[in-house]
Amino acid sequence: MFFRVIAKDRLPDLVRGLSTEFEVVGPVAKGEKFVLAPIEDPASLRLDYDTTVLPPKKWFFPPEETIMRFRVADNEVVDDEVYAPPRVLFGLHPCDVNSLLLMDNVFFGKYVDPYYRARRENTLIVGVSCTPSDTCFCNAWGTDETHWGFDIFLSDIGDSYFASIRSVKGAELVDRHVESRDITDEDTRLFQERTAAFKAAFSNDVDTSQLPLLLDAKFDSPIWEAFGEKCLACGACSMVCPTCYCFDVHDELEADQQHGRRVRTWDSCQFKEFAAVAHGQNFRDTRASRVKYRYYHKQWGYLSKFERVLCVGCGRCARACKANINPVRVVEALQTGVVD
Amino acid sequence: MAPRVVVVSLASDFGCQVQLTNMEDDLLDVLGLMDLTYWQLASSGHMPDAYDVAIIEGAVTTTEHVELLKDVRSKAAAVVAIGTCAVTGGIPALANTAGLETRYATVYGGGVAVAPGRIAPAPIDSIIDVDYHVPGCPIDTAEFLRGLSRVLQGLSDHMPDQMMCASCKVSENACFLEVGTVCLGLVTRAGCKAKCPSLGRPCTGCRGIAPDANLASAREVFARYGCDPASLASSLLVYNTAAEVTA
Ligand code: SF4
Ligand code: SF4
Ligand code: SF4
Ligand code: SF4
Repeated sequence: MFFRVIAKDRLPDLVRGLSTEFEVVGPVAKGEKFVLAPIEDPASLRLDYDTTVLPPKKWFFPPEETIMRFRVADNEVVDDEVYAPPRVLFGLHPCDVNSLLLMDNVFFGKYVDPYYRARRENTLIVGVSCTPSDTCFCNAWGTDETHWGFDIFLSDIGDSYFASIRSVKGAELVDRHVESRDITDEDTRLFQERTAAFKAAFSNDVDTSQLPLLLDAKFDSPIWEAFGEKCLACGACSMVCPTCYCFDVHDELEADQQHGRRVRTWDSCQFKEFAAVAHGQNFRDTRASRVKYRYYHKQWGYLSKFERVLCVGCGRCARACKANINPVRVVEALQTGVVD
Repeated sequence: MAPRVVVVSLASDFGCQVQLTNMEDDLLDVLGLMDLTYWQLASSGHMPDAYDVAIIEGAVTTTEHVELLKDVRSKAAAVVAIGTCAVTGGIPALANTAGLETRYATVYGGGVAVAPGRIAPAPIDSIIDVDYHVPGCPIDTAEFLRGLSRVLQGLSDHMPDQMMCASCKVSENACFLEVGTVCLGLVTRAGCKAKCPSLGRPCTGCRGIAPDANLASAREVFARYGCDPASLASSLLVYNTAAEVTA
């Protein structure tokens, strides 16, 4: 890693420069909220955003994706190309950069997902520092920092960005497209000062110590019934979650019934149909068992395999869940034994 | 041989049949797959005696409808209910909210001989077995085409059982409840890709209550977001009168 300083008023040069080589995607306003969308004009880029409704996963693993087209008559695949244009995701917060590393564990496992891989390999990541919102709790998991998983990371130090450059490609792009200078001791001091202020700004201070042990001990706790009564089983939490990776696959025929496409869509373990299997069985047919499963998967199952929890504390689920169920509330309920 | 298809209408405003004519891009493909032997809206022919697939729009509101449905069921290999009137009783079922006869008297005055043989409006599958359902007021043409494909391929019915909010989030809409506006998406059957919220209007529940809906929790959600909890049940009535809303 090496470091440069980029003056804030020069940043549009970088965005414009990148646009000549890549599709640049970044946070833009949508009403009162923000979404990650293609940036036509650097002025529409809102690096002061709190969070986006959908996480960056949608640019690697879209909500609905045609994975192949086929011909019915002879059962032949006629098209299984993956469309993966060269792209830059510009302005991801540390939680979201970390979320992609957690997704990689799954999609780059023993069976590599070619659709995810094609996009991941063709996408550069430019991170940006943030200010915690009232739903953020990345501090609880240590995902408030990121040391890899990006090409360039821009930390706000006042009038400039302290740019951490992780990849050769990132270095080339900074060189090519924007004026920058070497860091000084004063820049490093400012960087540390900003980092300390950021860490102090979290309003959530949930204690996650011994969480897997707590989960083991509370498997039969009444809190799961209580959460089950609240849960709307709407699946919004999984859709907005940067680390939920479950999907469904189905075939659809065109109107003429001669051609079809195989489609994959995001799925959620909160849907009753999720665990329905042949013969009408459903091994998680109550909402309580499904909410419980969500947390055991994220905070126990994934952890046992990859030594990280499957959550980056982005707080999107806390915003999306109308029933007020979220990891902070679940951890607190595990500790107190009650759901208030 | 191409399946012989009839399109039958009961009590409705024909909106779903109009939707069928609206799928211009695919209409010729669709017509090429079937022998459309009867469609009251689009031709002046008579209902034939033999057919394979019956597409039925509208709620059951008279004894004549009941007889017609039984006849259709005895002849058709596949019965497809299209539109919320047919699937839940929909808007026609509202006639029963204050007692059927009282409602008729209010609207038509006493002693007028309207709707002979009238009965409490009901969804089709309260009378006969229905093989496929395409809900919506009106139906979404893409969803109808997917349903029709299942009929033609002999696949099972597949109405989504879950609620609207997941597709609403996929469309990155701000939630209406956050600004205290009643939205029925949190208990309404998914499948339209949250069309209304994505167009800036709250979900009015036109696809009916989802079987997996948690109405009790939805009431609490309404209260927390400053919507009158009683408005959940009253708003749901519009398309679900016949379904007994116990929220
Ligand atoms: S579980 Fe919630 S807080 Fe954690 S990563 Fe997913 S959306 Fe973010
Ligand atoms: S929490 Fe549920 S939807 Fe998310 S990854 Fe785990 S099983 Fe899948
Ligand atoms: S936890 Fe919340 S967002 Fe998730 S399914 Fe339940 S009600 Fe919906
Ligand atoms: S606007 Fe309606 S459909 Fe969308 S998330 Fe909110 S309640 Fe659900």
